[in-house]
Formats: sequence, C-alpha cells, structure tokens
Amino acid sequence: MSETTREPDARRLATDARDRVRFEEDALALSDQVYRVARHLVGSREEAEDLMQETYARAFRSWRSFQPGTNLRAWLLRILTNFNIDRGRRQQRSPDMQPLEEGDYFLYNKLEAATDGPTDEEHVVERLSQNDVVAALSEVPHDFRDVVVLVDIGDFTYADAAQILDIPIGTVMSRLHRGRRILKQAMAEEAVGGETS
Amino acid sequence: MTGYDPCAHCEEVMQPYMDRVLTDAERAEAEAHLDECAYCRKRYRFEETLRVFVRQAVRSEPVPVDLKQKLLELRTPLE
Repeated sequence: MSETTREPDARRLATDARDRVRFEEDALALSDQVYRVARHLVGSREEAEDLMQETYARAFRSWRSFQPGTNLRAWLLRILTNFNIDRGRRQQRSPDMQPLEEGDYFLYNKLEAATDGPTDEEHVVERLSQNDVVAALSEVPHDFRDVVVLVDIGDFTYADAAQILDIPIGTVMSRLHRGRRILKQAMAEEAVGGETS
Repeated sequence: MTGYDPCAHCEEVMQPYMDRVLTDAERAEAEAHLDECAYCRKRYRFEETLRVFVRQAVRSEPVPVDLKQKLLELRTPLE
C-alpha cells in the first residue's frame, strides 16, 4: 500500500476513535438519568444494576448505530427497556386483567378524609412519605409502570416514550392514564391503608 | 337532563390538562371551570403538588459508585 492511500485511512481511524470516545463520554454523562428510570422500572437495585451494565455494554458496542443529533437518553433507554423485556422480567402481560382503578380525585379525597386540620394541598400531600411513593410505584403493573416512569420521572414526551417502548402513542396515553390512577390508588393504600373516606 | 357533571368532566381532563395536550378549546373550558369551582381548583393544586412530590421522592438515588466504575470499565480501551 502506498503512503498516499494509507494516510486517509489513518485519518479516518483517528476520527472514528474520537467519535467513539465522545459517544462513550456522552453516554456515561447520562448514567444518573438512565439509572433513575431503570431503578423504578424493575423491582430491585440489583436488577437495575444488571440492566445498566447490559445496556452500556451494548451501547458501547453498537455506538455507530446511534444517529448524532438525536436523543441519546431515549436511545439508551430503548436498549434498556428491550433488555428488560427480553430477560422475562415481566409477568403481567394483559392490561385487561388489571383491577379497576379509581378516578383522578381518589387520592386527594382519601388523604383529605384522613387529615386533621387544614386541608390545603400542602397539608394533604404531607400525609404521604417518600417510601409510600416508592412502594406504590413498585406495585404498578409493568406495562403501566414503564410509561409512568418514562413520562413522569424520566420527563420523556409521549412521542419519546412511544418510540422507546415501541408502542403506538395512543397506547402510551391510555397506559399513562390508567397507570397514574393505579399509582394513586396504591399510594392511598400505602398512606392510609384500609381507612375509609 | 343529560346528567352532565362538570366536575366529573374536569376530573377526566385534569391529567391531559397538566400534560398540556388538550386543544385550545378544551383547555379554555377546563380553565373556565377551575376559575369558578373551588372543589376542582383545590384538587388541581393538589395534583400539581403531588407531581413534584412524586418526582422528588424517586429522584434521590444516584448511580452507585461501584456501578459507575463498572460502566467506565465497559468503555473500549484506547489503542
């Protein structure tokens, strides 16, 4: 091979290496945000850590398939949710089998009934603890929880969540609607248990 | 009577309203109801407070240090 053909090759390799390093740094910079979502998609910290390692290993291997300028956080979470599904962590597959949930005002009404003194929103929300929220979230069936976690915790748009989970946007909206209600029902149970309103 | 209950309707559209996905007309209707109805307004304010609370409740956990190290080790070695 002559010097003239080798030089562009060397330049291409250097560019490639630089792009890869940049990609890896960008992906690692998002790890806290990706982990926050992962932590609440699965039941335990160990599972979340396994998922993170699988996701980053795959991402670093497949970095060329990421299109620069698109949403890297969404791309990483798409890999992560696919692993989560592939590893059979989901047991509850049929949304139709879920119990009927209460309306949107259910949680407020329940907490208000259990609150002494002022019933403004600040006092009512104080009936809830951080643990109530975390425990309640883990009780939401996976199909619904995925959407609630991506939109309400991950701050993804409906469109991003649809792309990450590979489901239609209408399904995102209906699962979000039901998922939030199931979450509130679970929070009410955690916070005030069987007390009646 | 049709049995239309404006508070039940407001409850139905509360989440899409907060997600800013209602049409202009639907949004105006929801806001008009919230302006005149203390019952729904109180619940709307609670829902806003609740969203922030839920977000804060689950946001406290960063990537554990040992996991961060494992992720760093997955990087392609520099040649």
